[in-house]
Amino acid sequence: MTSPAAELHPAPDIAPGSVILELRGLEKKYPGTHALKPVDLAFRTGEIHAIVGENGAGKSTLIKLLTGVMPRTSGEVMWEGKPVALATPHEAMALGINAVHQEVVLCRHLTVAANMFLGEENVRYGLLQQRAMVRDAQKIINDLGFDLPAHVMLGDLTIGQQQLIAAARATVRGTKFLIFDEPTAYLTRKEADQLFALIRRLKSEGVTIIYISHRMEEVFELADRVSVLRDGTYVGTRNIDETDDAELVRLMINRSIEQIYHKEHFDLGPVILETKNLSGKGFEDISMTVRSGEIVGLYGLIGAGRSEFVTTVYGRHAKTAGSVLWDGKEVSIASEHDAMRLGMALAPESRRDQGLCLNLPVGLNLNLPIYKRISRNALISGAQEKQQAERQIAGLRIKTPSRHALASSLSGGNQQKIVIGKWLNHGARLFIFDEPTVGVDVGTKAEIYRLFSALLSEGAGIILISSYLPEVYELADTLHVFRRGRLVASHGFHEASHEEILSEALEAAKQKHGEQP
Amino acid sequence: MSTETLTVEKPKRNYNVLFGLTLLALLVLLWIALSLATPSFASSTNITNLLRQGSMIAILAVGQTFVIITGGIDLSVGAIVGFCTVIPAMMINAGWPVWLAVLATLCVGLAIGVFHGFGIVKMGLPPFIITLATLTSLRGIGLLMTGGSSISINNDAFQEFSRNSFLGVPNLFWMVILVGVPAYIFLHHSRWGRYLFSVGSNAEASRLSGVNVSRTIYMAYTLSGLCAAFVGVLLASRIGIGNPTQAEGWELQAIASSVIGGTSLFGAIGSVHGPLLGAFILATINNGANLLNVNSFWQRVITGALIIIIVYFDGLRRRGK
Repeated sequence: MTSPAAELHPAPDIAPGSVILELRGLEKKYPGTHALKPVDLAFRTGEIHAIVGENGAGKSTLIKLLTGVMPRTSGEVMWEGKPVALATPHEAMALGINAVHQEVVLCRHLTVAANMFLGEENVRYGLLQQRAMVRDAQKIINDLGFDLPAHVMLGDLTIGQQQLIAAARATVRGTKFLIFDEPTAYLTRKEADQLFALIRRLKSEGVTIIYISHRMEEVFELADRVSVLRDGTYVGTRNIDETDDAELVRLMINRSIEQIYHKEHFDLGPVILETKNLSGKGFEDISMTVRSGEIVGLYGLIGAGRSEFVTTVYGRHAKTAGSVLWDGKEVSIASEHDAMRLGMALAPESRRDQGLCLNLPVGLNLNLPIYKRISRNALISGAQEKQQAERQIAGLRIKTPSRHALASSLSGGNQQKIVIGKWLNHGARLFIFDEPTVGVDVGTKAEIYRLFSALLSEGAGIILISSYLPEVYELADTLHVFRRGRLVASHGFHEASHEEILSEALEAAKQKHGEQP
Repeated sequence: MSTETLTVEKPKRNYNVLFGLTLLALLVLLWIALSLATPSFASSTNITNLLRQGSMIAILAVGQTFVIITGGIDLSVGAIVGFCTVIPAMMINAGWPVWLAVLATLCVGLAIGVFHGFGIVKMGLPPFIITLATLTSLRGIGLLMTGGSSISINNDAFQEFSRNSFLGVPNLFWMVILVGVPAYIFLHHSRWGRYLFSVGSNAEASRLSGVNVSRTIYMAYTLSGLCAAFVGVLLASRIGIGNPTQAEGWELQAIASSVIGGTSLFGAIGSVHGPLLGAFILATINNGANLLNVNSFWQRVITGALIIIIVYFDGLRRRGK
């Protein structure tokens, strides 16, 4: 496959089309989740290979394995025909594997030039050659056609510009294999075009590119081949000119609907919550109602404004326009405290950051919202504290040795049950679940869904945010689609197809792109 | 369910008790060793003296622990103690009744604590910075008030208090119990105590659970200020003067006692009995070193080494769990 010359100079001389990196049964298991089922896939030298899939399909797991951030559970990775361990990020970088992440992971308080050469500084007699580095960095940036200064603090640039610097940085490091993870999420169209030019240029220099994106039009614009992941399973690879939008979408979501969704339909009662033309930071003009016994699903891509909308309803952020009605009466919710007093409960998206006190006991977490109720004159009733905690542990089947065990010792699914359990104790009537089943195994998912039914049967209403289409599709009585901060479509239960809903959520990007000549 | 719960409950309970017992054992061991090494250690005068020495740091450590549990730190307590020897001295010499002077001093401590809470919650300053600023300013204000000299307190009854004993135990030690018992109930049996832990563990999750995080932070620093002002009064009584430069470095001793007593500087882990024992372990080491004629400079080195050893082993055990 490789010529004798290639063996002497492996980097530049590998013929296009030869395999640079091959995965053989690459697999990753976490306790309780099978994040990536065995993948067999070969990347060719100098190709742009797109990887698409829904959130949780296993894309980020794959990247983490390839960049050595996490060890694989089993399988082999062949780099230029030889097996490699990829046990540390350092090893991956030494091979020439680099990644540009969605979030910029550079030092904001250093200059652009310092970031470009971080770890490979130009040093003479033990002294940094600052001026030379700024000059070299500026030359690289200019060569790439970016109009950016090299001497300013990285933090003074926009996120998009920082992203370009991160990409430029990867080019100076002898990169042979470069992974872009949703690089355009924060870019303007102009910046994205500059990035695409850079990617094409890298390709022409023989660098292999992995391009991960939600945006179909970018995939079709850039990629040579595209691979689809779904629920941690590798579905297949297509040449870009032999496939289309519709086929990819079908591959991404065409899953057997597992028997985990036990949708029970309850009689819808009175409206609990109504928003009228509500606007705030990150969303505009949202009108919807939640009735007793109803699950209202909010579907959209990450950053579509769903979390911002519910946290504003919940009093975290101030609204800029519109009104919120509770039981038909207009209310002003100035803080989370007001929302709780009305009877709202929010199980936030990031349970580690916002939902739990991880290094405190399970029982304390469960009782945190109700200590006021179970204490008299500020002194806690030990008996009630025990009873309330153990009732929830038993009722939700939280797997914990005791209520004294630390929350951090539990699995992700059981932690999520604590987050939910503390609001059951509190006696709320409207539950907002923001991505409640992220990182949760199927069995626990089913239990969480059963819990939804139990809440509904008691007359509660639920707002369910999920980026996992089958979840909202199978559970929501009313499904609202968000796109770029707006509510763009609403459907009743099973009224629209997966394909319709997904294209509604994606469409804005497509149209916007279409406007650009 | 209940039987299952009960059987597993024990190890966790035991861990806290075990750590307390380890500290207690360490303290007793030190006492036995010192009694054997030097005849003067076990004398009643020395023990009384040791209890007096340890008591004031112990009270400071309790307040400090509340703050550390929330994930903060209070560097100002030593300066508050010094400042709060001046206040009662001036008031008593001006003819105020002692009870009123004490009450006013406690209010001063309270106010300083509220100011810390304000700086952290409203101005967004890191606890380290705001309390460091108060540390240096309070010493300065005290020196301005006294003109740089000490004020002798002209009230024998006030000074008698710290020298006397009740039921054979020095009054100062009784003060530790006076503070320690309510502090224990507050931290372990009231919802405010739970909130201190929850804020230290995850302020955002606590806020989303309806905990008033700002009020909790105010409370922690206010209680620390209050404890420090109380120690100020006790010190004024013990030395009979008001002098703002007193209690130099006591904040570090209070932090050390707290940490030796099992408090985590990352927040959310701590107790009341631990820091109390920690304070008396430190006091014993200093006292013993004096009796053994160890160079007093060495005492500082030993204290530092002890902190490293105890915290290292505690960390090992927590990770091992």
